[in-house]
Amino acid sequence: MANMVNLKIDGKEIKAPEGTNLIDAAEIGGVHIPNLCYLKGLKGIGACRLCLVEIEGMKSPMIACTTKVKEGMSVDTKTEKVQEVRKFVIDLILSMHPLDCMTCTKAGVCNLQQYAYDFELKESSFTRKKFGFAIDEANPFIKRDPDYCVLCGRCVRVCKDQGTNVLEFMGRGVGSKVVTANDKPLQESGCTFCGSCVDACPVNALLEADRWRKGREWDYDKVKSVCLLCGNGCDITVSTKDGSVAKINAGALEGSPERYICAYGRFGFDCIEADNRVTTPMKRVNGELKETTWKDAVETVANALKKAGSNAGFISTAGILNEDALTLKKFASDVVKTKNADTTASLYGSADTLLSGSTGLDSADLFVLVDLNPSQWERVLPAIDAVIRRRINAGAKLIVVNSSEPKIASVATINLIENESSALMSLTKALIDKGLTADKKLESAVAGANVSEAVEKAAALYAEAKNPVILSSPAMYPASANIALLKGTAVSVPVESNAKGVVMMGLTTEGKSYKEMTSGGASLLYAIGEVPLNTRPKADFLVVQNSHMTELAKQADVVLPSAAFLEADGTMVDYNGRLKYVAKAVEPAGDAKSHREIFVDIAKAMGADMKEAKESETKKLAKVKVKPVFSPFERKEGLDVKVDEMIESVNASVINGSRLLWLKEAAVCA
Amino acid sequence: MLSENAVKEIGLIRNKYHDAQSSLLPALYVVQKEHGWLSPEALKEVGEILNVPKAEVKGVSTFYAMFRHRPIGRHLIQLCTNVACMIMGSESLLNILKERYGLEPNGTTGDGRFSLVVMECIGACGTAPAMLVDTDFHDNLTEERIVNILEKYK
Repeated sequence: MANMVNLKIDGKEIKAPEGTNLIDAAEIGGVHIPNLCYLKGLKGIGACRLCLVEIEGMKSPMIACTTKVKEGMSVDTKTEKVQEVRKFVIDLILSMHPLDCMTCTKAGVCNLQQYAYDFELKESSFTRKKFGFAIDEANPFIKRDPDYCVLCGRCVRVCKDQGTNVLEFMGRGVGSKVVTANDKPLQESGCTFCGSCVDACPVNALLEADRWRKGREWDYDKVKSVCLLCGNGCDITVSTKDGSVAKINAGALEGSPERYICAYGRFGFDCIEADNRVTTPMKRVNGELKETTWKDAVETVANALKKAGSNAGFISTAGILNEDALTLKKFASDVVKTKNADTTASLYGSADTLLSGSTGLDSADLFVLVDLNPSQWERVLPAIDAVIRRRINAGAKLIVVNSSEPKIASVATINLIENESSALMSLTKALIDKGLTADKKLESAVAGANVSEAVEKAAALYAEAKNPVILSSPAMYPASANIALLKGTAVSVPVESNAKGVVMMGLTTEGKSYKEMTSGGASLLYAIGEVPLNTRPKADFLVVQNSHMTELAKQADVVLPSAAFLEADGTMVDYNGRLKYVAKAVEPAGDAKSHREIFVDIAKAMGADMKEAKESETKKLAKVKVKPVFSPFERKEGLDVKVDEMIESVNASVINGSRLLWLKEAAVCA
Repeated sequence: MLSENAVKEIGLIRNKYHDAQSSLLPALYVVQKEHGWLSPEALKEVGEILNVPKAEVKGVSTFYAMFRHRPIGRHLIQLCTNVACMIMGSESLLNILKERYGLEPNGTTGDGRFSLVVMECIGACGTAPAMLVDTDFHDNLTEERIVNILEKYK
């Protein structure tokens, strides 16, 4: 815990942690210091000159974003002198900014509009300047209109800080412009369309491409929720209007290195209203899928399940909510009385490889990345890629342990590109040689390991680090956790959002596995969510319960319409072991119901009185604390899915049903 | 695109500096010395050699006025027209350049021999008017002298 410093801002007594800048300190006391270029979490650059404040004992005004709190400091943020400077700055900016707030999408949240209002500036007192720069709007995600740009540099810095490095200033002075390399449109610049720049822009220069006349900030209802599209489970803020999702923004706290979402999370929501949504139950009649009632569909499935009994098999994605998973578990074991209920998590993990420690990523000063290939560009665990690059820019170090070189290796301090098991083994050996205490078992397991020069260096870094974090693939997690026995935390990173949650809810098979069931192991196969299957596995009866009409659903005997993501609430456990509340943003389309509602309905039709799992139950189950245990230095067998293919496969409806399809068709960023 | 020599020289420059960003300016000079200007392809190549984001290479190269983003002639004439040089007749020198070579400020001769940039003070007020041709310094210019000097640059 940092030392607290006492100071006065506008006469208010404020306590702020040592090292805090004056903008953040003022915020603690509820005082807003005007600024355009400051971005919480990044170093102040003092460029916009709006945050000038007067400090007792100082002759001239100081820049608040670059001045740190000091004991006994007395700060005045609204003196005549600084207000005059601020007004002058806004006056200058207004001379080259369109005065069309009445039709501007950012009205209401535009910082420039607010400051012009505060300083009573209807129009600039300087000669009006217009550059007439070309608008970049050839992509369906982000519209860049340089004529609105106030050159604050937030977009450039946020893009650089997360290591995407697409935006930069061109030229200097008033005529400068934010551009990509060689001023190419975004899709030709290596842009990943994560939209971090959109979140950072204080004006209307960077905006979601489809926002024009789709409502302004005050028209929206907002909920905090969680993106369920990949193993990162990022926090999101969903804005809805008239019952539809209007936009999604990054939802992690301002200033947190985790404040990032990728193009899937930001723009994938189109799929909620895609043409291939299933909105009514369907049943195969004379070889053809026909719409039917819930009553008929539920009864049909109930009868089929009764008939199949213990030969029935349930397969689900690991992107379903905890409450759905727990209800399914109970439904399968208590009502249908089958042991066969498994999820896609079993393709890449198991209880002992998925459940791991959890840690504070924003305080991590060393990352060890084992057998993971996070990439913003491929959109494989993109948030981890961004977090690590941000932390590196803030001084953290990275060690990559991988048998083939991942993209992120280019920013690593040390790369151990070799067999992961032997690398981890020699790293452990080197750490023990450095005096870290280990138990006998671990010590003897690594006795024969060779320590190369690179491993020696890696061990030195690890031994020095205050909060080292090992992020590992589930297959390598048991081996990685051996290092956490000495020091630090090891975290297993799954492919799907709620893999940890479904395992904690006990939705792991006691009978046939996912693989067995999908290769003819169940007479009745009941698929929940977008399972990565395109052809019907051998089964007498196939039920598909999903939000979209997938290839598999087209081959089903019964299709049950389920709520899509953002249409159901509940909880999930992210890769870092954090229990997160997933809020419902919109009502399910048509007659769609949440997974758990459907299970309860079928149970009722089967004569069982089953209740939906409650949040209090799932919370209890999700409280498991995992301590690392000694395991042999080896890769867990049978957990070798191709992560990029799997993410694409379980999100096929999201990608094909939204503007994300454009990325695939235009083959951008490949 | 870049010559083997230039690539080698940039590599040596890179090793002189602690981080890649610091080596960017001298590396751009190497390219400009070789090509006379910084083409988009050359910028891309420099970014790749130094592992600096392409956008940043573009940003830095456009921030500094001494980098050129259009091809120039074989020889660059930088003629001062600041107060001292103006009083001593730089205006008539500009006329000579226009009449004799068809050269306008910021222009290039049709044969690609000369490009002309009008400069602010180059610190030769005592011996004005003055100019730079490439990196050679010439002062005490007269209408006759400037022609004689330029004839030496083919």
